[in-house]
Amino acid sequence: MSNPSLESLKGQWTCGKCGSLLEVASVNVSYLGSGYPVDLLVCKNCKRPLVPAELALGKMLEVEKLMEDK
Amino acid sequence: MALISTAPATKNNLQEAIPTASVCPVCLKRIPAARVFYADEVYLEKTCPEHGFFKAIVWRGLPAYPSWMREKIPNHPTQPFHQPETGCPFDCGLCSAHRQEPCCVLLEVTQRCDLGCPICFASSSLAPSSDTDLSLVELWYKRMLQAGGPYNIQLSGGEPCLRDDLPEIIRMGKALGFDYFQVNTNGLRLAEDIDYLRQLKEAGLDVVYLQFDGTDDAIYQTIRGRAILQQKIKAVQNCAELQLGVILVPTIVPGVNDHDLGGILRFALQHQPAVKGIHFQPVAYFGRYPQPPRNEDRITLPELLSGMESQTEGLVHLEDFHPKGSENSYCSFTANYIIQPDGSLKPLREPEAGCDCHKPESAKEGVKRSRAFVAKHWTYQAPKTISSSNLSLGGWDEVLERARTHHFSISGMAFQDAWNLDLELLQDCCIAVAAPNGDLVPFCAYNLTNTHGQALYRPRP
Repeated sequence: MSNPSLESLKGQWTCGKCGSLLEVASVNVSYLGSGYPVDLLVCKNCKRPLVPAELALGKMLEVEKLMEDK
Repeated sequence: MALISTAPATKNNLQEAIPTASVCPVCLKRIPAARVFYADEVYLEKTCPEHGFFKAIVWRGLPAYPSWMREKIPNHPTQPFHQPETGCPFDCGLCSAHRQEPCCVLLEVTQRCDLGCPICFASSSLAPSSDTDLSLVELWYKRMLQAGGPYNIQLSGGEPCLRDDLPEIIRMGKALGFDYFQVNTNGLRLAEDIDYLRQLKEAGLDVVYLQFDGTDDAIYQTIRGRAILQQKIKAVQNCAELQLGVILVPTIVPGVNDHDLGGILRFALQHQPAVKGIHFQPVAYFGRYPQPPRNEDRITLPELLSGMESQTEGLVHLEDFHPKGSENSYCSFTANYIIQPDGSLKPLREPEAGCDCHKPESAKEGVKRSRAFVAKHWTYQAPKTISSSNLSLGGWDEVLERARTHHFSISGMAFQDAWNLDLELLQDCCIAVAAPNGDLVPFCAYNLTNTHGQALYRPRP
């Protein structure tokens, strides 16, 4: 599934470690035994992904709450 | 912790068992007790100096008892109404030594009931009107706020739906800041009076906590004294029509309906999306029992789990289930699923290896999570597109949306009676009953009765 909003962020972020521009790539996001590919900005050298705050505090938090309930 | 003993716990071999405390079922005096292991069975054993030795089964089979431990850091009430003076369980209300605050509080809004179930713990009857005065209901709400509320509310009884002004009781609570309401009902009125059900929903009722003992009228005839399966089904249909969630609440009695665990689960899945889950309750023996209940008259939590597994042809598995984070782990079980389009159940599992799950957890966080869980998942969710973010989370988006509308929970809670009461479990209780004096008494203490049917806390009818 593509992330149109990510396209607009492309070229605006560089890797803090190596300085490379981040590019959109598919990353496997897994939690408690389940995992799905998600398009994120990734450093092509270090392979470190950037999780936008909107995603971390939004849907990722929802997933965390869903999986850890009770 | 996996201790094995082949003899009753005595002063000489008590070190081979896990010591705890209980009460004498005859005089209700506090006495030492022990959890004693016999292969894969665990018994609560105790001796009253005056009334002798008692032994009650508390655990049979897998998952193994030691593996079910989920240790918690106590969460003492911030505003206790009592101090420990006489000792547990004689200072309830809650007292400052209690180790958990309430998740849910039961308000018994009437003692009237239109069923005369032999197993009722509320001593209800067809006796003349004994509805709780609205001024006492208001006092309960205010006392709960003093104690640290709001908490989740269960309207109970008697049969609460015999009250025409139940919607007013919900509105009163809403106005005082209580967000979540469930009604514990036999469903008879909800089956025949959909306008009343609509009034409850409009007042703010979140879920119908429906006594549902099985899918065969012979079960109702035995447990409830009447064949009322059709009324149960109609009540569920009415809830579905009004988009009101339902939790099925079976009381499981060995030899009566322990063969129908799979049937109940299949019924629940056939009534989606209204039925949000099942909450099993093994039978407990409150009231007058001159002879101790036989151990074969009890079904323990692991037996419910293995029964469900064997009766559902692979739909659920033992490993889906885990102890809860709010109450004592030996009081309950839970499993959460997403119902898949093909009708199968995808479990949402707890973390296993490499996690912090064997460290003591915060009971305060556990009860907060439990309240939030019930408010979120024990309620009807109409389909709509999630919109918390424009950014896609790939396949997780579908999981989140499906989980909102097709989340399904299976849980169970074992109530304790005078024979199997373990005071260590009672002190961790997060279900309270609002007493007529405004105290909040842990459920199993409130309903505790001795062999003569005399209660420690519940007023005589």
